[in-house]
Amino acid sequence: MHALEETRRILVPEGVLIDLRPVADRWPVGVVSGGNQHEIAWMTDLPSGLADDEAANHAFIEIARRGSFVCESELTFLFFFYWDTPEEMLTYIQEKWNDSLILEKDSFSATQNDWATAGTDRRVRVREKMVLTRWRRH
Amino acid sequence: MACQKDPEGIETCYLNQSAVFTNQHVLEIGSGDGRLTWRYAHSAGRVTGIELDAEALRTATKDRAESLRDRVAFVRANSLDLPFPRETFDIAILAWSF
Repeated sequence: MHALEETRRILVPEGVLIDLRPVADRWPVGVVSGGNQHEIAWMTDLPSGLADDEAANHAFIEIARRGSFVCESELTFLFFFYWDTPEEMLTYIQEKWNDSLILEKDSFSATQNDWATAGTDRRVRVREKMVLTRWRRH
Repeated sequence: MACQKDPEGIETCYLNQSAVFTNQHVLEIGSGDGRLTWRYAHSAGRVTGIELDAEALRTATKDRAESLRDRVAFVRANSLDLPFPRETFDIAILAWSF
């Protein structure tokens, strides 16, 4: 909440605020190869990740209620992460998303199995949904 | 190969549809290693990225193209206490950071 008011302070009147972030959801994990894609597992949001998302949503509802910003548009789109191997993906998840997302052991095993039988151009992919909201400073 | 993010450029497409960056003074909050910055900075007037992670800041500064040196700056700062005067920026981007 305070961060949004601080952002309002540094924006010119009628300035634009773009909020770009992933939507808390089950992110599908899969293997892509030869133009085909096969989603076989999901990442799961941890309670802390869901709480952060909820807090952000609440803050934006509050600044809209106060009239500090006016929502002009909102759209969603897909965002893809790729790795050469399941192990590289797992390392990344553990290093970068450890506090908000988890890949269950069964899901990782399923990804490894699928990757092992895919073509030589195989890559591992995580698909997430993004939301981009444009606000106008009031 | 390290993690490859959005090679399709979907995010870039939607970001550039969401605002006209031409000649605008942009603040990117949570600029990280500059991955998103490079996707719009070429058309912006000036860009300031703020980030708390020192390593990410170093990477962003190191990767900054020579042609952007005079127009793109990265600063270690917290979004709760932005070190800028009021009404400085035309556009603020909360980049995966809220």
